[in-house]
Amino acid sequence: MRHDFIDRFSRIDSPIHRIATSVKVLAAFIAVIGAIILPISFLWYFLFHGFILIVAAFVSRIPKLFLVKRLLLMEPFVLGISVLVLFQPGGIGTFINVVIKSTLCLSTMLLLSNTTPFSELLSFLKKLYIPGLLVTILALMYRYLFVLIDEAEKMQRARESRTFTRNNSQIWKTRAILIAQLFVRSTERAERIYLAMLARGWK
Amino acid sequence: MHIPDGFLDAKTIISTTVFSAVGFGTALHRLKNTILPRQIPLIGLTAAFIFVAQMLNFPVVAGTSGHLIGSVLIAVLLGPSAAVVVMTSVLIVQCFLFADGGVLALGANIFNMAIIGSFIGYSIFRIVSKIIPGRRGWFTAIIFAAWCSTVIASIFCAGELAWSGIVRWNAAFPVMANVHMLIGIGEGLITALVIAAVLKTRADLLDTDKLNGFNSRHRELIIYGAITAIGLLLFVSPFVSQWPDGLEKTAALLGFESKTLDYSLVSSPIFDYKLPGIGSPALATSLAGLIGAVIVFILAYMISKILVSKSDERIPT
Amino acid sequence: MIPALKINNLSFKYHDGTEALRGISLDIKEGECVGLIGPNGAGKSTLLLHMNGLLPEIKTDNPSVFVNGKPVNSKSLELIHRTVGLLFQDPDDQLFCPTVFEDVAFGPQQFGINENDLLNHVGNVLKMVGLSGFEKRSPHHLSGGEKQRVCLAGILSCNPKILALDEPTKNLDPRGRRELIKLLKTIPTTKIIASHDLELIVELCDRTIVLDQGIIAAEGRTIELLADERLMLEHGLEKPHSLKHRHPH
Repeated sequence: MRHDFIDRFSRIDSPIHRIATSVKVLAAFIAVIGAIILPISFLWYFLFHGFILIVAAFVSRIPKLFLVKRLLLMEPFVLGISVLVLFQPGGIGTFINVVIKSTLCLSTMLLLSNTTPFSELLSFLKKLYIPGLLVTILALMYRYLFVLIDEAEKMQRARESRTFTRNNSQIWKTRAILIAQLFVRSTERAERIYLAMLARGWK
Repeated sequence: MHIPDGFLDAKTIISTTVFSAVGFGTALHRLKNTILPRQIPLIGLTAAFIFVAQMLNFPVVAGTSGHLIGSVLIAVLLGPSAAVVVMTSVLIVQCFLFADGGVLALGANIFNMAIIGSFIGYSIFRIVSKIIPGRRGWFTAIIFAAWCSTVIASIFCAGELAWSGIVRWNAAFPVMANVHMLIGIGEGLITALVIAAVLKTRADLLDTDKLNGFNSRHRELIIYGAITAIGLLLFVSPFVSQWPDGLEKTAALLGFESKTLDYSLVSSPIFDYKLPGIGSPALATSLAGLIGAVIVFILAYMISKILVSKSDERIPT
Repeated sequence: MIPALKINNLSFKYHDGTEALRGISLDIKEGECVGLIGPNGAGKSTLLLHMNGLLPEIKTDNPSVFVNGKPVNSKSLELIHRTVGLLFQDPDDQLFCPTVFEDVAFGPQQFGINENDLLNHVGNVLKMVGLSGFEKRSPHHLSGGEKQRVCLAGILSCNPKILALDEPTKNLDPRGRRELIKLLKTIPTTKIIASHDLELIVELCDRTIVLDQGIIAAEGRTIELLADERLMLEHGLEKPHSLKHRHPH
């Protein structure tokens, strides 16, 4: 089960995990808004934000290495655009500004997503004025992406065990076929899920 | 193309959020009224499918790789409104499960990739497949639409970054557009290959009768079109004034800056335009984009011949 | 006495023209446990879907399936869904909610249970299948055996009168299988079990129906039927080891 990396730590137990979802979401939201609206000259705010994140990371009992790795995984996106900023006149100031702000926001969201199960976020959304159809679609999507990752992995392994050439055009073709098969299987599974929902009285 | 938090300012965040709320609301409303109950699980599964498909890497050159985005794929398979809803769901889950793309930038990301990507892609697909009849035109339309959708979404992304005052238009636009002109070729190829493979195994899935619930009426398309136009006015047009204006300058540029133009076509992946002050990179990029579009169209037409001869001849349109 | 389930000359064709069922008639008494065996493609799953009114052809004016004497048609559908609990082959098809709690609560919520009772009710049902405390878990973190038991809990929470189980032991390891059999033995409702696991049928079912090519090929007491080696081989089946020394009369 390689898909474990997606939400492995969102269900462990820690004081941070136990905080009510609504509180966590609200806190993260306010923190992110603050980081974006306030100019970088409000240094105390950014230091405080960073401090809280580090404390929360330690209290959360998530392996620190895991968090750092995830942060580094997303950081190229931030740096990619930031480099553009760096090369324009007077860009260094803006560059530092953008990197600090986005790293703080990114860490906040990483911490939120790794301390709150997605299913909890969904039931929180249900209470807000989010259309029911969207919540249903998101719930189905979350539930079945793990099933589809497993399925894709099995198909890919089966194909690789019978493939001996390794040129790129071959890989493109087989990957495209894999995606097509995945779509066809998804539509078939959707039919069966529909029957299962009906069987339990879905209206 | 997922914009992280910290790059967009308040006015950009608010306006993109409003646009995507209107666009997404329209799409969801449309789906609610037209699809059968049995198609609701299909939408959820398709969103999961796109999420997983985006995780599959396609090797490009020298160890780099790309992946499918999928908005045109879904727009062709299930119609534009379903594509808007599916792509939005994917972006929401990526944001809250992976922290991929900012939470305040979610509106901008939905606007660029879900709404612009699906709507522009679908419109171009419909227009081209009407102009060139038959299966070959159909595949040409898919490849070209996927390319345009990727490039235009990236231009909106550049516009939002410039409007936020973070990156100058003269840097953001050429880099984003040039990179995505290449990524778009991959997107077009993968989309066409996947649809060809679906056609081969389950042609009935592309049967127009079955897709009836997903077909968008003109009303939705008008709303998406209006949002796109306002977005264009807001995010992109303010910067047009930075370009050398008028036709006479274009002519001058064609003579004077042909070197720049060639350069952008041949080695556009090199981030050379981020250096400011080389003539007018923005205008050069626009011209390169137009020529690129023509080239991609011709390529698409050639590739579609191979795809048609490989798949069977039942035409779903 | 009215049979719990009555099927009267049921035929069914799929859209692609496959004749899945051809003139099936059977009666199942209340409290009975009936096995449904036969080769792949015999029509077992199709028959089970009909028992729950899930195939569209059933909504016609000429019903051939009766649950507790009531015809299965578009008007009685909700009642039928409540009365007959259907366990699907693939647990991943059936567990469509993000958490175990939501999944077990799904049926009762659709049938309008009081929200205050819901928590208790779900807890009780989970205890019954031996998964107390699993409420917040996600299906993708469960083992095959646990998934199958959550599926069963999702059905049992609707208090069905009849259970229709499609390959309940498929994909289970020996321990998971043993636990499931133990659990099924404690549930007193009428049961119809379709399976290739013939030892399971021997252990649980008093009566067995052999289905082949959409027709009832044989019907009788489980032990006698399954001990008939010739009959078993004829329909792509096999005499179970536990009946090795038994000979049909």
